[in-house]
Amino acid sequence: MVGLSLGEKQFIHGGIAQDLRTDGRKRLHYRPISIETGVIPQANGSARVRLGATDVIVSIKAELGKPSSLQPDKGKVAIFVDCSSTAAPMFELSGKWKMVLGRGGEELSSELSVALQRCLLGGKSGAGAGIDPSSLVIVEGKLCWDLYIDGLVVSSDGNLLDALGAAIKVALSNTGIPKVTVILGPSPNDQPDVDLSDEEFLQFDTTGVPVIVTLTKVGRHYIADATLEEESQMSSAMSVSLNRHGHICGLTKRGGAGLDPSVVLDMISVAQHVGEQLMSMLDSEIAAAEAAAVQEQ
Amino acid sequence: MEYVDSLTGFRLDGRRPNDMRQIRGEIGVVAKADGSALFEMGNTKVIAAVYGPREVQNKGQQINNQALVRCEYSMANFSTGDRTRRPKGDRRSTEISLVIRQTMEACILVHLMPRSQIDIFVQVLQADGGTRSACINAATLALADAGIPMRDLVTSCSAGYLSSTPLLDLNYVEDSAGGPDVTVGILAKTDKVTLLQMDSKLPIDIFENVMQLAIEGCKAIAQYIREVLLENTKLLESRKGL
Repeated sequence: MVGLSLGEKQFIHGGIAQDLRTDGRKRLHYRPISIETGVIPQANGSARVRLGATDVIVSIKAELGKPSSLQPDKGKVAIFVDCSSTAAPMFELSGKWKMVLGRGGEELSSELSVALQRCLLGGKSGAGAGIDPSSLVIVEGKLCWDLYIDGLVVSSDGNLLDALGAAIKVALSNTGIPKVTVILGPSPNDQPDVDLSDEEFLQFDTTGVPVIVTLTKVGRHYIADATLEEESQMSSAMSVSLNRHGHICGLTKRGGAGLDPSVVLDMISVAQHVGEQLMSMLDSEIAAAEAAAVQEQ
Repeated sequence: MEYVDSLTGFRLDGRRPNDMRQIRGEIGVVAKADGSALFEMGNTKVIAAVYGPREVQNKGQQINNQALVRCEYSMANFSTGDRTRRPKGDRRSTEISLVIRQTMEACILVHLMPRSQIDIFVQVLQADGGTRSACINAATLALADAGIPMRDLVTSCSAGYLSSTPLLDLNYVEDSAGGPDVTVGILAKTDKVTLLQMDSKLPIDIFENVMQLAIEGCKAIAQYIREVLLENTKLLESRKGL
């Protein structure tokens, strides 16, 4: 995206004020979302989500590890996001983003990683997480699964956080973790022997995984699923992660401008409504992708 | 370890010595790029995106009588078998970036676009041997998709020599066996070699055979790439309503 002219800026602002955006959507409408599962066969689970011209890939790898001594009954989950150089020119150009992002989109990568961790993994203790870390333990204090969630931004056209959140949800529903048979040694201090099954896989319960809805404030109104052009005009943005019951799992506010507390509450209640629609849209897409995968076999 | 079964003559993954893995190319996978392509060789999967020709960003690099070609190669964290977090621009990726840049620069008609810049970004999604070749093939498709004037299509393929047999298109297991690995890039129509790399050592008469095998592979890929481009053009034509 090259810098916008004054006329273009006014066109975006005017359109949002009249509830008709430049691509014909209303303020709270999402772009068409397309989902592909199993794009990385080497990983335990993977998904590619396209939201308009935004394109992200998420891969999930499970590795055997040792639980930390502080939390012997919990596995570890880590989220990393990488902004691919295929999307890099987008990060290089616009002046405002350049200051925010630094070189090669590294700062954006870490900002997205932290926001996703906050929205999906719950507190430090792991309580209230979308992915239950205690389900990853195999032998308490000795053996657990470490779940590595890697996101890759292939193409960027705004609203990366929502796209990544959706991709993680889809990838988790597609993840199979090998069943483990543990043979404990005679002494309790021995590292247990493990036998990984090639045929039996455990599926995750993804009903508790939240979706992320970002509302971007442009002028006096806020919009859902902003494009890169619209994002360049934002004063602030609020990302709310919501689970199936409409409960808030995490909140992030970005952008410098201050918000009135009443507006914040208003945005949250709107996000709840949008989140429900997004959740049902994702559910039907996941079901369709699974049906397609079964048919292929 | 035996890489070619002495009885049946099949390789570890069930191919014959001069079989290539299944290849697949797709155009237009990165919506925001001027040209983009996905290229798969078996389990190796790469995406290439091309931006340009456009204004040179760093004026110091501008060349007055030809276009500046830049290339960046990167591997996704999840691309290899063991998950690794490698920093951008390690030695291996710098070297591959350079190889891809030089190979593509040789076929782009750079003199037609003075004082401009063309960026080629390749991203490895899955690495299973032959990433170098897959990247060059993806870059060719992406450059063609971007409509950048080229002399010819560059295609690349590798070949090796294990268990006294020349093998076409090595996968990761065969690649890490430590035998010779010859990567060749050719200009398909003019039949000229633009890229030639080999690890390890090989008697010169065997090298000739192995290189010939790799060239045959390149030609087969060139044929496929031409089909993909033709199909894409037909699609564009029908969309235009011609």
